[in-house]
Amino acid sequence: MDSNTSIVAKLDALVAELLADWNIYTTLIAGGIVAFLVFSFVTSKDTDIHPFLLARQSTAFPVRQPGETAQYRSLETPHGFPLRSGLNVKDPGAPRWTSGRKGDLRDIWKAAVRGTVEEDGRVTGKQGKIYTVLGRKAIEHSLEQVTQEMNVIGSRLQSSKVNTVAICLTDSVELLAAIFAGAFYGLKTIIIPHNLDAESLSTLLKESQAEALIAEAGALDLSLVAKGNDQLSQVIWVAKLGSRHMDWNDVPEDVKGTLEVGVWHELVEAKKDLAGLEVPTWDPSSPTPSVTTVWPSKSSAGEFVEYQPENLVSGIAGLMYSIPRPQRISPSDLVLSIDSLSRSYPLCQIMTALYSNASVALNSVAGESVDFALATVGVSPTVIVASSRTMSDYHSKFMKPHSGFISRFSRWIQVRSLDSGYMPSHGVLNQVANVGPTAELSLDKLRLLCVSHRVDADPEVQLDYEQLADLRILTGARVVYALSGPGVAGAVFQTNVFDYRRFKGASHFGAPLSSVEVVLTEVPKDATIEEGQITVSGPSVISGKTALAGRARIRDDNTFQLL
Amino acid sequence: MSSPDSAVPPPAEVMTIASPINLILLSLFVILVYLQLRPKAPVSLPKGPAPVVFRTFTPTTLLPYNGEGNQPVYLAVRGRVFDVTPGKNFYGPGGPYENFAGRDASRGLACQSFDEEMLTKDLKAPLDDLKDLDADQLENLQSWEERFSEKYLVVGKLVAEGDPEAASA
Repeated sequence: MDSNTSIVAKLDALVAELLADWNIYTTLIAGGIVAFLVFSFVTSKDTDIHPFLLARQSTAFPVRQPGETAQYRSLETPHGFPLRSGLNVKDPGAPRWTSGRKGDLRDIWKAAVRGTVEEDGRVTGKQGKIYTVLGRKAIEHSLEQVTQEMNVIGSRLQSSKVNTVAICLTDSVELLAAIFAGAFYGLKTIIIPHNLDAESLSTLLKESQAEALIAEAGALDLSLVAKGNDQLSQVIWVAKLGSRHMDWNDVPEDVKGTLEVGVWHELVEAKKDLAGLEVPTWDPSSPTPSVTTVWPSKSSAGEFVEYQPENLVSGIAGLMYSIPRPQRISPSDLVLSIDSLSRSYPLCQIMTALYSNASVALNSVAGESVDFALATVGVSPTVIVASSRTMSDYHSKFMKPHSGFISRFSRWIQVRSLDSGYMPSHGVLNQVANVGPTAELSLDKLRLLCVSHRVDADPEVQLDYEQLADLRILTGARVVYALSGPGVAGAVFQTNVFDYRRFKGASHFGAPLSSVEVVLTEVPKDATIEEGQITVSGPSVISGKTALAGRARIRDDNTFQLL
Repeated sequence: MSSPDSAVPPPAEVMTIASPINLILLSLFVILVYLQLRPKAPVSLPKGPAPVVFRTFTPTTLLPYNGEGNQPVYLAVRGRVFDVTPGKNFYGPGGPYENFAGRDASRGLACQSFDEEMLTKDLKAPLDDLKDLDADQLENLQSWEERFSEKYLVVGKLVAEGDPEAASA
């Protein structure tokens, strides 16, 4: 008892002695502590996603084959359930409880033309727009207009008994119309990159046995292309706005008689009353023809990858649902693709946008390697689809050299908020950081950046964690980073839109999409880490299963990283 | 009442920042700032159990997987080996189906009989081809198999002793 009181008394004396020294500095320091605590409490934010969802992003099957890893799947489609194979299209009048159809390209166009649908199923009919970006100006097209062009071109090709049509155009509304014309009028569509020389184009045409060609007027020497392509019977020129006054109907002497040449805008003008503005009706059980794209290869002009309609819709649905609902492309978005539609990832993203009734902007210069700043000037997009090469070039040319002390400091602060799991807000700080690096960009509304990397692309252009963080900070947009491969519609992997974590080295590619299942094969016998050749199977994969020309490693959070 | 002493102000006590209480508060401040700003490692979850490797079994190599000790319980149905460990109460030692543990259970399941004589006695013999079963029994077997595929994992396949596949496994 006695000792007790003495301890208390001693403590009391100690505290009294301590407090006796209280002075103005003490008050200041105490005030500082309180202010700091209040400040950090007020500014603290919830993370955008539960950290556990990033700590394990895909699930492994509990059994594996010898020499392989287990099968990995997206968290959306657990093992034992079917992979995502379609858009789940519900026809009006179908009973509510039935599961929807897989759908195809026609459903996508139909949905785009139908306009937005409310949660309760009411059609409000607000359509998206399609813009063609030419340099600084953007030309607006209504969907009816595109439907009309599609009907004219489709019925012309159909009536001249064409089965296969090759499209060799820059990204434009005509390219989109031609793709949908193929779907509605039963034409096998082959999308050929536009920047090929006549010889490789001729080879590709021969290989594909295309009977019709839609190409840019004046970009090709017809007699050279037609040589050895006896099956070619129809050519439709698409004349640019500036060169429409010219007569493109001229046919070189040597191919006269075998080739019928038409000009897109003249055909549309002549037939538009006949064709109508309505989307043609179709029997949902009838299949659409395949869409073929060209996958660039080092040795030749490229190899054909023929996507069946079910591969495409599965890939499109996989991409669409890989982004959680609040971040998904919505009717208020304007999606700009600065990557060529002849590649499957941008093609599927644009289809996703059309299906979600978003507006779409196509850029005539779009391709794997474009100037990001120049390609985005004409419009103010909310979503941009780009390639890893474009972004990595832009980062090394503009973002890195432009960072001074102030922007470095504000970057440090914003990286802290990324590291704690939420996007930095668009504030003063953000403006300060952006002075310089992105000053010339018109990206005020940008909220999502979809970057894809080809599995066989130069490893140099793979983005690393710091580059991705820079992109998030400087554009103020969230980033998804996908890996695409030949034979897989859409993508194989895509990062979680809320995954801002940073590690060392090149970034991982996230988890498999819900439309595929991934196994790494040829795993070294005594490997301590799981690594091997990427083998993909699922409904978005042509012929069901394919092995990609790339090796990957599975990280501890079940995401995949290229080796 | 003022004394001459009080006219002279007392020497002002020098306010010092280095008093113990200030030092304590300052270090508290520094610790708080550090705790707030230090880089946090991303959350990581413990790794799940390593997946079981798919194996090719022969009746002899399957035999040890009967649940004795801490072994898993496997049984084979028409060439497919199921891991029935989650149903150890039924298929493990002491359970009503314990005879099937580590064995080819096809015939027993087809005939709805759990007796010893349903099992192939000679482990070196070719696998039971089930040729003599009637339609009812085959249907019975089919429904068992479907039930197993729904509930349990296929962890391997069963081949006869001396099969080339068994040698390579």
